[in-house]
Amino acid sequence: MASLDWKSYKPILIPNIKDYHKIDVYENNGGYDSLKKILKDQSTFTPEAVTNTVKDSGLRGRGGAGFNTGLKWSFMPKPDGGPRYIAANGDESEPGTFKDRVIFEYNPHTFIEGSIIAAYAMSVSTVYVYIRGEYRSWIRMMEKAVADAYDRGYLGKNIQGTEFSVDMVVHSGAGAYICGEESSLMESLEGKRGYPRVKPPFPAQKGLWGRPTTINNIESLANVPLILNNGSEWYKNIGTSTHPGPLLYGISGHVNRPGVYEYPTGMLITDLVNEVAMGVRGGKKIKALIPGGSSTPPLRGETLEGVRMDSDSLREAGSMLGTAGMCILDEDTDMVDFLWRVSHFYHHESCGQCTPCREGTGWLEKTLLKIKNGEGTTRDLDLLLDICTQMEGRTICALADAAAWPVRYTINRFRDEFEARVKNTVYALA
Amino acid sequence: MAEIFIDNKRFEFEGPTKVLQFILDQGLELPFFCYHPSLSIPANCRQCYVEAGQPVMNRETGKYEVDENGERVIRFFPKLMTACSLDATDGMVIKTHVTSELVRRGQKDVLEFILINHPLDCPICDQAGECPLQIQTYKYGPEGSRFEHKKVHKPKRIQLGPRVVLDAERCINCTRCVRFTEEVSKSNQLTIVQRGDHNYPVTAPGLEFDDPYSINTVDICPVGALTSSDFRFKARVWEMSSTPSVDITNGKGCSVDIWTRDNLVMRITPRHNPNINDYWMPDAGREAYKIFNENRISRPEMNLDGDKVKSSWNNALLSVAEKLQNITASELLVVGSAYACVEDNYALGKFFKQFGQDETVFIPNVIAGSGDGFLISDDQAPNSNGCRFLGQKETSTDDLRKVILSGKIKAVIVLQEDIVGRGIVTTEELGTLFSVYLGTNNNATSTAADVVVPITTAAEHIGSYVNVDGRIQRSMPAKETIYTNRRIDLEMSMGRLDHFGTKFDNWVSDKNKVDCIPAWEYFVRLSHEMEMNFQYNDVREIIAEITAANAHFSGVNYERIDSELGIDLVNKQKEELNPA
Repeated sequence: MASLDWKSYKPILIPNIKDYHKIDVYENNGGYDSLKKILKDQSTFTPEAVTNTVKDSGLRGRGGAGFNTGLKWSFMPKPDGGPRYIAANGDESEPGTFKDRVIFEYNPHTFIEGSIIAAYAMSVSTVYVYIRGEYRSWIRMMEKAVADAYDRGYLGKNIQGTEFSVDMVVHSGAGAYICGEESSLMESLEGKRGYPRVKPPFPAQKGLWGRPTTINNIESLANVPLILNNGSEWYKNIGTSTHPGPLLYGISGHVNRPGVYEYPTGMLITDLVNEVAMGVRGGKKIKALIPGGSSTPPLRGETLEGVRMDSDSLREAGSMLGTAGMCILDEDTDMVDFLWRVSHFYHHESCGQCTPCREGTGWLEKTLLKIKNGEGTTRDLDLLLDICTQMEGRTICALADAAAWPVRYTINRFRDEFEARVKNTVYALA
Repeated sequence: MAEIFIDNKRFEFEGPTKVLQFILDQGLELPFFCYHPSLSIPANCRQCYVEAGQPVMNRETGKYEVDENGERVIRFFPKLMTACSLDATDGMVIKTHVTSELVRRGQKDVLEFILINHPLDCPICDQAGECPLQIQTYKYGPEGSRFEHKKVHKPKRIQLGPRVVLDAERCINCTRCVRFTEEVSKSNQLTIVQRGDHNYPVTAPGLEFDDPYSINTVDICPVGALTSSDFRFKARVWEMSSTPSVDITNGKGCSVDIWTRDNLVMRITPRHNPNINDYWMPDAGREAYKIFNENRISRPEMNLDGDKVKSSWNNALLSVAEKLQNITASELLVVGSAYACVEDNYALGKFFKQFGQDETVFIPNVIAGSGDGFLISDDQAPNSNGCRFLGQKETSTDDLRKVILSGKIKAVIVLQEDIVGRGIVTTEELGTLFSVYLGTNNNATSTAADVVVPITTAAEHIGSYVNVDGRIQRSMPAKETIYTNRRIDLEMSMGRLDHFGTKFDNWVSDKNKVDCIPAWEYFVRLSHEMEMNFQYNDVREIIAEITAANAHFSGVNYERIDSELGIDLVNKQKEELNPA
C-alpha cells in the first residue's frame, strides 16, 4: 500500500455536510442517485451485475468477521416466488463498538439506500433493521429516516415507478448482546428467545421464518451506494487492497479525544492514537490496546509500532480487526481488574444455550474475581487457560470464543501482572 | 450403498441420517443429553462430540484421493462436531471416545462444566439410578472438579403445575421439556427464562403447567429437575420392577411399563411404541396406579339379608351355581365389558353360551369431544373393539336399562362394568334381581350386587386389549395376587435390576397381595359346580381358541404381540381380503 495520505482524506461515509441526515440535504448532495441509476437502467444493472460490482469492490463485512459482502449476497438461492429477507444488524453491543450509531445519527439515508440496492440485488422484498434496544433515540431517528424515504417513494410499492418494491421495518432489540449474533438475531426478530441456531442450514438457505435471508452489518450496507456511485475500482483503491474502503474507527479509553472517526482501512494504530485521538491522556504510555471490540485479543503497548488497522496486519500482530472499535488502556490500568470486567460482561451476556459457554463464562468470572480480590493462586491462572481451551470452538456460536480469547490473550500477554496478584503456591509432588 | 466408518469399522447406511442416531441404531454408545429421537435437534448440551472427517475427492477424476499407502486421504473438521446434528455422508470417518483422545477430553470437559453448578444431591434425588447425567459422569466424566466457588442458586421446589415439580438447580438446560411442549403436546407452556448460568425452564408468570401430557417432561428430563408430584420421594428406581403393559384408562391404549414394589404399582411410564404412542402417554393414564392399588375387592363378598359380608370362594361359587340352575337362560342378562380383557370377555360369553344365553351385551363408554386426536380418544375404555370383534352386542345405557327393567330378566351377570355407577340401574332396581358382579374395585355396583367376585386387573393378569385403532396389545402380570407366584410363573416379568433372580429381589414379598383370580378362572371353577364342560388351564389356551375360531383374531399370539409391539387387527383384515 502506498504511504497513506490520511490527513487529506475527506470523509465519504459520514461527510462533513450540515444536516446530512435530512432527506433533502442527502438528495441535494447526490443521495439516492445510485438507486435511481440502477432502477432506471435495470437491463445494465441486473441484480447479478450489482452483486458482482459489490463483490469486485472487495467490501468486507464491518460486523467483525470480515467476510466479502458481495460474495455473501451471491449465496442467496434463486428466487422461487416466496419471501426473502435482509436483516440489517445494528445490534452493536460489543464493549468498545459504537460506530453504527453514528450512521443512524448523521447519515441514515446512505444506509437505507444501500439496503434498497442490496434488496434489489438479492430480489428481497423486506428489510429488517435490528437496532439494539438501548439506542432509544437512534431508533427514533431511524424511524423518522425510514418514514421520509417512504414519503419520497424510495421504499414501499413500485419504487420510483418501477416494478420493484421493498419494505423496511425498524426493529428494536431488547438488550441482549447475543442478539447481535446473526442467527439469534433472526430468532429474536421472529419473536423468540435469542438462542443462536445450529448451522447448517445457513441463513441464505433457511433464515427468517425458514426463508432465504442475508444478514449484513449497518456499516457494510452503508458502503454500498458509494461503490455503485463510483465503481468498484475506485473503492478498491481506498485503504488496504485486501480490505479496502472507508472505515469507522471507534476510539475509546484513555485518550484525549475519544470518538468515531472515518478514515481508510489500514491506518497505523500509532497515527490513530497519537494524532487522530490526540494522544493518551496525561501523556502516559499505552499499556494495552484492544483493536476491534472487547472480544479481540489485546495487544501490548510496545508491540503497536507499525501495526495497521486491517485484518492481515492485525493477524500478524496477534489480534483481529473485529469492528474496529479500539480501546486504549494506559499504563495505570489494572489488567486484572480490566479482564474481570470483560469476563463479567460475557458471563452476564452468555445466552446459556450451550454447556461450555453457559458454565465456562461464569467460572472464568468467578476465578478472576478471586484473583482480583487477592485470593488467587498461580494454579488459578493455568485453570483459566484450561477453561478457555474447553470453551473455544466447542459451541454453536462464537460467543464462547469471544469470552475465552480476551482471557487467554490477556493472561498470556500480561502474565507478569497476574502473577504479581496471586499467591505463589507450591504443591508437593506426592 | 453409502458407507461410513465409525472407529475404524465400516457400516452401511441409507437415506439421510444423523450420525448420533446412526450410532445408537447400531447399538453403539455415545453420551448425550439434549438429543431425543422424537424432538428437534438443538445441539446445546455439546456432549455427543465426535471427530468427523470426509474423504478428499479429486474433482477431475471424481475419485477419492489416496496417500502413498493406498489409504483414502481424510480431511477432518477442525473442531469437534456434535454427532446429533451432523449429517452422515458417504465415506465419512467418525472417531468417538473409543478411538479419539480428543473426543474423550471433550466429553470430560463438558461433564465438568455441567457439574460445576449441578447440586450433586443424588442421594435425595428421584432421578438417581436412572439418571443419564449420573451414568455418563461415571462413564465419561472427570475424576473430580476444579471448581472452588459458590454454585449458582436457583429456585427449588416450584410447583409448575398440578403434576410436575421443578428443581431449577438440577436443570442442565437441555430444553427437552420446552421442546416437548412446543413440538409434541403443542401447549407451548414452558420456556427458558433468565440468561447464561441462571437459565431454567418455567411457565409464563401466573400460568400453570397443566398440559394433559405434562408428566412426559419428567420422563425425558435427563436429570432430576422435573419430578412428578405424585411419584416424588415414593420409591427408588432400583427397588422397583418394571413390566410391559397397556394403558387401561383410555381407548388409545398406550404402551406402558408398570413399575412395582412389594406388589404395589408405584408408577406407570410410557413404553416406546412407534405404532401407537411413540415415547409419550397422557397424564391420566399414569393415575391408573391408583386403580391397581387402592380400593380393591379382595375375597368374594355376598349379600346376606342386606349386609355385605366377606365369603369363601366356595360359597361364592356354590350360591351362584344354585341360583343359575333355578333360572332359564332367557331370564339371564350377561353384561361384558370394554374395561375387561379379550380373554375374560370371551370366557364370559362362551360360558353362558353353553348355559344357553347366546347374547352378551356391552356398553361402550364414549364421551364425544373428550379426545384430542393425539393420545386421548373419545372412547374411555381400553377394549371396546375387543368386545366388538368377539361379537358382543353393542348397546346403549338407555336400551340396557329398558331390558333390565322389562320384567323378563331375573338375574344379571356383570363383568367389571359399573352399571350402577354409570346410572344404568339404581341400587334398588338391581336389588330386585339376582346379580353377580365380577370386578376389580369397590364401586356402586359391587355394593349393590348379591355376589361380588374379585378379579385381577391388567397389573396382575395376562390379557389382551384392542384399542380404538384396532391394535391388539397385552398386559403381563406385574404384581402378585395371593394365588400367583412370580418365581414359578415364568410369564411374570422380572425387573430391570432383578433379572439375576436372587432372594433379595424386591418382588419376593408377601405384602399387599390381593385375593382375586382372573375372571376366566372363575368360570372354570363355576363350571365344576354346575357340571358343565368348560376347562382351561392357562390363558394361552383361551387366546389360542379365540385365534382359531374368530377371523378377527386370526394369527394372533402373545409372542407376536410382544415382538411386533401389538398387532393391527383392522389392517390385517384388509390385507387378507385384498392381498397386495
